[in-house]
Amino acid sequence: MKRILIVDDSFYMRTMLKNMLTDAGYDVVGEAPNGQTALELAKSTNPDLITLDVILPDNTGLDVLKGIKAEQPDMKVIIVSAVGQEVIMNEAMEYGALSYIVKPFSEEKVLEVVSKTLASDG
Amino acid sequence: MKSREEEYKEIFIAEALEYYDALNRHISVLEKQPQDDHTLAEIFRLLHNLKANAKAIGYLQISDVSHKLETAFSLIRNKELSFSDEVVTVLFDGIDMLGDLIHNIDNTTAGDPDPVLLRNLDIIVDSLADNTIELAKVQRYHTSKNLSLSDLIYIQIKKLDNLMNLVGELIIDRDRILSISRELDNDELKNVSSHLYRITDDLQYSVMDARLVSIGTLFNKFPRIVRDIAVAEGKVINLELAGQDIQIDRNILQIITDSLLHLVRNAITHGIERPEEREKKGKPATGNLSLAARSDRENVLITLTDDGKGIDLKQVKRAAIERQLISAEAAKGLRDMDALSFLFEPGFSMAKEVTEFSGRGVGLDVVKNAIDSIGGRLQVHSEKNKGTTFSMRLPTSIAVKGALLFEVAGIFFGIPLIHTDHVIAMDIDELHEVGNVLVADIKGETVTVVYLHELLNAPEADMRLGDKSRLKGIVQNIIVVTYNNRKLGLIVDKLYRQQDIVVKPLSKPLDSIDLYGGVTLLGTGKVCLVLDVPAITRNFINRR
Repeated sequence: MKRILIVDDSFYMRTMLKNMLTDAGYDVVGEAPNGQTALELAKSTNPDLITLDVILPDNTGLDVLKGIKAEQPDMKVIIVSAVGQEVIMNEAMEYGALSYIVKPFSEEKVLEVVSKTLASDG
Repeated sequence: MKSREEEYKEIFIAEALEYYDALNRHISVLEKQPQDDHTLAEIFRLLHNLKANAKAIGYLQISDVSHKLETAFSLIRNKELSFSDEVVTVLFDGIDMLGDLIHNIDNTTAGDPDPVLLRNLDIIVDSLADNTIELAKVQRYHTSKNLSLSDLIYIQIKKLDNLMNLVGELIIDRDRILSISRELDNDELKNVSSHLYRITDDLQYSVMDARLVSIGTLFNKFPRIVRDIAVAEGKVINLELAGQDIQIDRNILQIITDSLLHLVRNAITHGIERPEEREKKGKPATGNLSLAARSDRENVLITLTDDGKGIDLKQVKRAAIERQLISAEAAKGLRDMDALSFLFEPGFSMAKEVTEFSGRGVGLDVVKNAIDSIGGRLQVHSEKNKGTTFSMRLPTSIAVKGALLFEVAGIFFGIPLIHTDHVIAMDIDELHEVGNVLVADIKGETVTVVYLHELLNAPEADMRLGDKSRLKGIVQNIIVVTYNNRKLGLIVDKLYRQQDIVVKPLSKPLDSIDLYGGVTLLGTGKVCLVLDVPAITRNFINRR
């Protein structure tokens, strides 16, 4: 079972994502509400994939991405963010995020992007 | 039952109200320090989340107002809009409007948001750096604001665990006080302690109740999972769910989640046949899988039934012989029920091939251990070509257990009721020495019986489990326990009563003794050891 870490500061979003992913048979190994926890969990759970919201408390979304990529260069990261954040999203792709999902998202979209990203070579 | 939609809505509202409170806090700070980037970033983040969440759940007015405010604040952040008095008023009004919309989500009589205010928001968002923006005066509709708090709180399960532990301690003391009041025979003390008894009972049930969730929260995940596995395995399956409303302790549900998933996967990959194979056997092409929960006094019973090919007992026996768990000779006379119990031996697997969904070296022993760890019971029944049923009997609460109290060699013991089948008194003549054990005919079934005193206390070299001369007296009290489809009779010296007990784990250095699941204090102040039936059964089998 593929293991996924969810990083999002909204409990509502984390719950929705978690339900969608576990329903689809993925193993959600952790949920991080802020950058600090995200970095710790990325290291300790070493998931197959991370979904990362770029707007986190203290604006640490991109820093989290850089931090993860510095320690685990092969880690697959998908950016999850709302419309209007195209600038940050583009920047995130430059820092090594593989794909993105725009909020509000449909279950189909999430599962499609996640399975494609997991299947990609990174 | 709480549907997932209702659950989402509750979470959305609770979080939205939290955001609303935080927004009010931050904008008040910002009014005094308009250049505080940190506060601006926080406000931006909160509005951003509120917008995205509201859009996802379908509260479009909330997402629309959040979006306008978010745009306004991003303009302020980029110094394209100054945080002037007029702007501040509109922003405060806008945040108030958000609060109103959130509070009135369920109120269908609440009108649409004030159009003047919405227009004002549009003006500041669209006019950008225009200093001469004209804002219509808004009649502030909050002349007297009501303060309101959310009806829902989040609580960490850790805090509820702690509360449950404290209630456990309280119950031990309560029983002690009740016992002392009887000894002292003081009426006033008796009255107070019986009142104490009732309120601690209520308290215990309230805390237990706060930890309950409906089984549906787990069951409702299965339609999708079953569908996916079935597609991958080329099976056609109809899943029936029942008893989603049954309530169970959240931690127990958490612990059995993986086990249930494992069993469901097994049922689909190894149990239910492909449609063509089913039709050849005269079965409907669509396989049936049923996942049901029901409550039975103190316990919750979860059953998983498939109408597949059943477990091949010959194959189980062959695998058991190969793994030297049993001799070929003994395997011949083995009852079906006993053969099935090999399935739960560590590492026992009959899977020939590893598929994506099952057979990754995780055996049923993992499931068994998970159920054992919470004091539950796992049983399996299988009939060739008819199907297989796994039943889990689970306690509704981890901390408090119904137990049967008894005495062996002057020491008090308890056995969780979940493992006891029945209690019987037998004449010593009805026990027979067979090989190096005792057996008895109990309700038409030949059951191995063991004198607990001998098993627990006799020195290794002098242990004679099959020697009747070690027993005391004529009439023997026997508690029949079941573990892993095996019945075992335990001879005890004296039987007492059934009682709810709070089991405390043994602490170091005693925690390495696995025969005991824990310890409890009786009302009399005496220590009572709680037997771990799975461990006792294993210990006994190893000795044979």
